[in-house]
Amino acid sequence: MSEKLKGYRGEGKKLLEKNKIEIWDIVQIKTEKTQYEGIILPRIEHSAPNFINIKLENNYNIGIKVSEILEIKGIGKREASYKIPEKKFPKNKDLPNLKLFGTGGTIASRLDYTTGAVIPSFTPGELFSAVPELAEICNLECEIVFEILSENMEPDNWQQLAEKVKDAANSGIDGIIIGHGTDTMSYTSAALSFMLKDLSIPVVLVGSQRSSDRPSSDAALNLINAAVVASSDIAEVIVSMLGSSSHDYGLIHRGTLLRKMHSSVRNTFRTINSIPLGLVQNRKIKMFTNDYRKKSKIKTQTLTNFEKKIALVYSYPGNDNELINFYIDNGYKGIVFAGTGLGHVSKTIYKSIKSAIQEGITILMTTQTLHGFVGMNVYSTGRELLNMGVIPGRNLLPEVAYVKLGWVLGQTSEPDEIMKLLSQNIAGEFLEREIPIAFNYNIDELLKSKKL
Amino acid sequence: MTQQFDYKKFDYEKLGLRCGLEIHQQLDTETKLFCRCPANLQGTREPDFTINRKMRPVLGEMGTYDQAMLTEYEKGMGITYEGYNDVVCTYELDDTPPFSCNNEARTVALQIAMLLNANIIEEMHVCRKNYLDGSVPSGFQRTMILGTDGYVTLESGKKIRIDILSLEEEAARKIKTENRTNFFRLDRLGIPLVEVTTKPDINTPDECRECAERIGLLLWSTNVKKVLGSIRQDVNVSIKAGTRIEIKGVQKLGWIPILINHEISRQLGLLKIKEELEKRNLNEKDIPNKPIDLSDSFAKTKSSFIAKGIKSGKKLYGINFKGFKDLFGKELMEDYRFGTEVSNKVKLISGLKGIIHLDEDLNKYNLTNEDVKKIKEKLETKENDCFVLVLGFKKEVNKAMDVIINRVKFAFKGVPPETRRALENGNTEFLRELHGGARLYPDTDSEAIFNSEEEVNDIRKTLPEYPWVTIKLYSKKYKTEGRIIKDLIFTGKLKLFNNLIELYPDNPSLIFTTLLETTTALRREGKDIKNITDDDFFEIFTLLNKKEISKEAIEELMSLKADSPGLSIDQIKKKLKIESISTDNLKKLVNEIVKNNLNLIKEKEMRAKGPLMGEVMKKVRGKIDGALVSKELENSIKETLKEMK
Repeated sequence: MSEKLKGYRGEGKKLLEKNKIEIWDIVQIKTEKTQYEGIILPRIEHSAPNFINIKLENNYNIGIKVSEILEIKGIGKREASYKIPEKKFPKNKDLPNLKLFGTGGTIASRLDYTTGAVIPSFTPGELFSAVPELAEICNLECEIVFEILSENMEPDNWQQLAEKVKDAANSGIDGIIIGHGTDTMSYTSAALSFMLKDLSIPVVLVGSQRSSDRPSSDAALNLINAAVVASSDIAEVIVSMLGSSSHDYGLIHRGTLLRKMHSSVRNTFRTINSIPLGLVQNRKIKMFTNDYRKKSKIKTQTLTNFEKKIALVYSYPGNDNELINFYIDNGYKGIVFAGTGLGHVSKTIYKSIKSAIQEGITILMTTQTLHGFVGMNVYSTGRELLNMGVIPGRNLLPEVAYVKLGWVLGQTSEPDEIMKLLSQNIAGEFLEREIPIAFNYNIDELLKSKKL
Repeated sequence: MTQQFDYKKFDYEKLGLRCGLEIHQQLDTETKLFCRCPANLQGTREPDFTINRKMRPVLGEMGTYDQAMLTEYEKGMGITYEGYNDVVCTYELDDTPPFSCNNEARTVALQIAMLLNANIIEEMHVCRKNYLDGSVPSGFQRTMILGTDGYVTLESGKKIRIDILSLEEEAARKIKTENRTNFFRLDRLGIPLVEVTTKPDINTPDECRECAERIGLLLWSTNVKKVLGSIRQDVNVSIKAGTRIEIKGVQKLGWIPILINHEISRQLGLLKIKEELEKRNLNEKDIPNKPIDLSDSFAKTKSSFIAKGIKSGKKLYGINFKGFKDLFGKELMEDYRFGTEVSNKVKLISGLKGIIHLDEDLNKYNLTNEDVKKIKEKLETKENDCFVLVLGFKKEVNKAMDVIINRVKFAFKGVPPETRRALENGNTEFLRELHGGARLYPDTDSEAIFNSEEEVNDIRKTLPEYPWVTIKLYSKKYKTEGRIIKDLIFTGKLKLFNNLIELYPDNPSLIFTTLLETTTALRREGKDIKNITDDDFFEIFTLLNKKEISKEAIEELMSLKADSPGLSIDQIKKKLKIESISTDNLKKLVNEIVKNNLNLIKEKEMRAKGPLMGEVMKKVRGKIDGALVSKELENSIKETLKEMK
């Protein structure tokens, strides 16, 4: 599609072509009822073909129906090129040196004001002019690793990111921030947690739920909080995002224990089956526990091999054997079940589960309740599944189990080794106990009652 | 609002006065524009939850920050939102994307567009209009143009062109400002609103008032919210030599001419100052860019508030403006000098209480002559100069001095373009910099909205009569003044009147009196007339129609209903023991009273009717029509007199 008539098709495209009008042309339009003057804008894909878009002089955008247009005349051109001013990020030798990896997603995107298109951008200079407070916290180097929406993130991307982190950590950087889309942030945080061995510095994933072109964006505060956490002594893979709808404090979530729990709110991330490690507020960190990995001088290593043939299967009434047979027939090496309740599936699929295990497929059981441990000795279903060789995933979230199984099968194909690694607590993903408030904690209330 | 200041009779034509109106009106829909929360205000009800937010300026499309947004950010105000679980959802909190556009609202807006003879936009694109004052949690209002290029006709036949009609979301309502935090209630946020903008075709203050009234009447003849505060006018005023000023928050039509005259006076005053600066051969470039810190020299002054301030860590900053003698004291409007103008802006942006300048009485700050002499020395203030002082914490005084320097520099240019707020006394005060045109950008969260030809044609068939036509028609039909019908429209009672007149066609003037005068009288007595619903009026006139009460009982029924909203009209009637008296019973009662007063009748003959009337009425007030009592009494006295003879 020609850039000059971007988004146009059908009648609209025909009209513009006939009159030699392109987008960004300033036009006068006469219709049967009135006249307009404005700038021809690109049209959004999949919108009605019989209208053209213009930005009026008063800055409002409207669509004008082609069949009503009597005359259209170009009288000039005004191309808007949207650019964030670059200011040099200042250096201060007393502040920690952080590195920021951009991967795409809302936090790294800005709006093209004229078209409404989202454009990626993330240089230190841009960041500094948008969030000058960062310079009071750290020295910052930025590198764009990918420019992708997080739903398009692949295990290959995790591997590349892990290597980048390792190199940076071993080059003497004090902490790392990773700008990431929130959709699959918890998959990436889990993957990095397993792939980075002997991590020596903080690795903080951060995103935003409202893009930074809105005055109400959470991006700036999340970035500031992330910079504070990345300057701390927590040598773990962390996700730090706002802890409530207020622009107040950010939470510090362990990379293997959290989940995006809401499609749109700012405080969408929650630590599941436990409470967060701590919080960051007014540039200060408050830890709720001392049970975390501390910063060290040891060399960070990577174990990035990953088996991609892993399925994540929801258990639901009506499951049938064909579904599992598909994975067997297509060479899958592992299946994670998000089982019902304590870790169950319907007995109608026992048959295919048995064949899968016979074929050497590793099956890991988690619960779709997300909260709580699987308990496969309570009902006969659980006992039967255990007997078939299904492995209980304890408190693992289905997504974390998926990442862990892919990582384990990437490290070894020896059944004994697989079992050993699966039951080993590699990156704080297993919990010994579930504290009673884990299910419905409310950080705001805990803070108010000074219980944290 | 009174006009006391000696405003000259302005020659508006010579001044080149041009005014435009922006009228905002809430629509009376069940739910909000982009979410399905009930569109109901909650008054003073305690909120269920609060959240705190901060806004940041965002870069405009040309890669720069909008000056108005920066000014707002510099105020450094915190924001607290208060909400209710039953009328506010996560959408209003900017935590969920918008839902589909409310069709009920779109239909009303289309009606209004047609009444304004506007061209209807068939494919609407939702746009975002940035607001950093906190009144919208997302930081922008969602708005779309629905009509363009219309007009409204004045009595004289002059057509005022309508520039645009947009459909948008109402902002949250501001509750208070406390500890540098603005509190907003979210119940109002998202209620559908239309904004009607005229072209600057209006040339006199009275024309402006009439135009506002006509647009108001037109809006109130459709399905819009008809309560106090549901309509708001902004007036744009410019004169040839001056600047366009937007005056926000004009609550009453009557204010419009006064505000315009005051604004003309202010602009002329500022232009005089500009002339005077030229005459004095002063130059903008000579205005100092930095203030001088006087704190150390005045730590021990006798002016206790300055000494105390400095002791508590505040700073006293001063600046000298060469050749500015008497200019800060120049009156621009009544009780409003150039100094007030600067001080207002300082207050709003820095949070300081005000400024001190040489053109005012310095004794009120307990500054001694010696103090003043010392200040003049430090600031090198000469005979023809004026100094300005501010006292506050470092961050505040720096901010304040920036404001002062910039405002004084602008005095060389004349009138700075601003949005100003209307005050009760007819004056205005600085609210924010006039927003640039580049504040609108497409809303990426919503798709285009269509007003199909078919739909538009269907709505066209349902259009109400123009209100000024209605006024003429009704005043002729019901033999009353146009003013009364206008009042019915502006109190939102025309529809109720139509229902009542159908029920009780005999006496339209009784309905007018009840709906307008009686209601107003009760309100003035302090009664909560909101408690008298349309259904209550309907019930009252039903009783009247059935002759179960007389018209004299109406006021009492209304009064009691206002006091006890829990009771029905019927219950109140029973409580008041209002029951109608039959004509027979009236006759009996009248005859009895006449019999008991034979002496009086013998003595005064027909003149006895007065005192006896009082006695009868004591027993039947509210139960029967007084005219009927009078007639019966007259008959009875006549009969008796006949018998006596």
